[in-house]
Amino acid sequence: MHWRLICDENVSASFGLAADEVLTKHIGQGKSIPVLRLYSYKNYSALVGRFQEVESELNVDFCRKKEIAINRRPTGGGAIFMGEDQLGIAMCIPGKSDDNYGRARELMGHFSEGIINGLNSIGVPAQFRRKNDIEVNGKKIAGLGIYRDNSGGLLFHSSLLVDMDIEMMLNVLNTPFEKISDKEVDTVSKRITTVFKETNSHINMAEMRKCIAGGFKSSLNISLSESSFAETEKREIAILEKEKYAQQDWIYQTPQVKDAIGTAKLKTEKGLLDIRLTLAGQQIKALFIRGDFFAGENAVADLEGSFRWHSTNQQKIELTLDKVYKLRKNELASLPLGALKKAITLALNRARVLEKKQSSEPYGCFVTPGGRVHV
Amino acid sequence: MAKKEYTFPTDLFYDGKNHMWLKKDGDNHILVGIDAIGLDTLGDLAYITLKPKGTEVKKGESIGTLEAAKMTGDIFAPVSGKIISINNACVENPGIVNEDQYNKGWLVSIEATEWENENNQLISGENLQPWIEAEIHRMETQGFDA
Repeated sequence: MHWRLICDENVSASFGLAADEVLTKHIGQGKSIPVLRLYSYKNYSALVGRFQEVESELNVDFCRKKEIAINRRPTGGGAIFMGEDQLGIAMCIPGKSDDNYGRARELMGHFSEGIINGLNSIGVPAQFRRKNDIEVNGKKIAGLGIYRDNSGGLLFHSSLLVDMDIEMMLNVLNTPFEKISDKEVDTVSKRITTVFKETNSHINMAEMRKCIAGGFKSSLNISLSESSFAETEKREIAILEKEKYAQQDWIYQTPQVKDAIGTAKLKTEKGLLDIRLTLAGQQIKALFIRGDFFAGENAVADLEGSFRWHSTNQQKIELTLDKVYKLRKNELASLPLGALKKAITLALNRARVLEKKQSSEPYGCFVTPGGRVHV
Repeated sequence: MAKKEYTFPTDLFYDGKNHMWLKKDGDNHILVGIDAIGLDTLGDLAYITLKPKGTEVKKGESIGTLEAAKMTGDIFAPVSGKIISINNACVENPGIVNEDQYNKGWLVSIEATEWENENNQLISGENLQPWIEAEIHRMETQGFDA
């Protein structure tokens, strides 16, 4: 099968988002063959998830002061911080007309494989983590999202951290930190990873795009030919930018169900344990673990990653904890399992209380969860 | 891997394309929700928005949007008509849909205007079992079990 490959750089937030949506729509309508788009945003853009609240997720004053664009993605998940060192990856494909659901499930695997193959080809041992992440040894390196357009087109989107200015990101996203000092930067830096960090080299964006395109070619068995936006696509992107992505009504809309944060601090024999948990409905969207215990950062990142989009069912929580502890027994020896179970339960119960009060709190896609602490 | 089991009440109609269920009363009022395979594919729901009462929709048009563990997207009307009621409880707590999708988890009620023309595109009665089996087979062979 033959696909178009569109590469563009330094796009504005509104153009980047509108272009993905127009391409997806055109493909759903049968006006275009599938597209792989590899692009970067201007320094910088802060993009919240489809149902998030801007004011809860982002430091809006800071963004305005630094002229950082704010916008809203059609895909779900947490807020992301994009610029010239983060690669946007959009795969726009048709959803079979009789198979909207199964097609998406099938292709989510292929989509992540394309990125994983590309990363593996430059020596980054990336792997898929249920449900929407790509990680390297427990540390998140890319987030994934699917948007199903009403034309039938499917947009698979990923933000891949080639490099990251952690301090800038922490200033843009609302975080659990009261101030952004070297300690906070160091903590976050140890929980996520980047291509630069994993390869210990400064691969440029052109090479990065080449290796990701190669990953897609081999995983999907497709050929790619470099393409650009057709004139009709450019016109529709300009219209969609103006009518949707430049509109305050789209960017600053308020969700009816607001995220709730619960926190818990426990003294254990190995040190203080500080938990922050973000709850959306019946889902744990994010878990953040801090404290003065000595545990391997990869293992803690793995624990946190295991609880992104996790059920609030107590048995399932315990099963997940048991599974991670079994795999990382030594690294987690100083973080008592019983205390962690207790702290998560406590934080979850507090989040539920807050949820009932319609509290809204933030979390970020790579820095989870964020925001002010209410309990 | 354990074989998944799905519940499909036999007194309902199903929109095979979008995995929605429909329950009809005598006045062409149609309760609409997401069926078991649709929900399994989406994963747990985090957010739902629904178009307001009084909105007129055509079959296949959006009646709202959702964010689930695995994707965001529109919720599609399985029949044409006017939305006469929406389930605000599910908007406020989408987890209700995951817990009780065929009862408390209904999403909208539509006053169907073209039921006679559109109901033959829905799945029900003796067609139900073969369709479920085909869908499960498809999910097992193509599905991505995240």
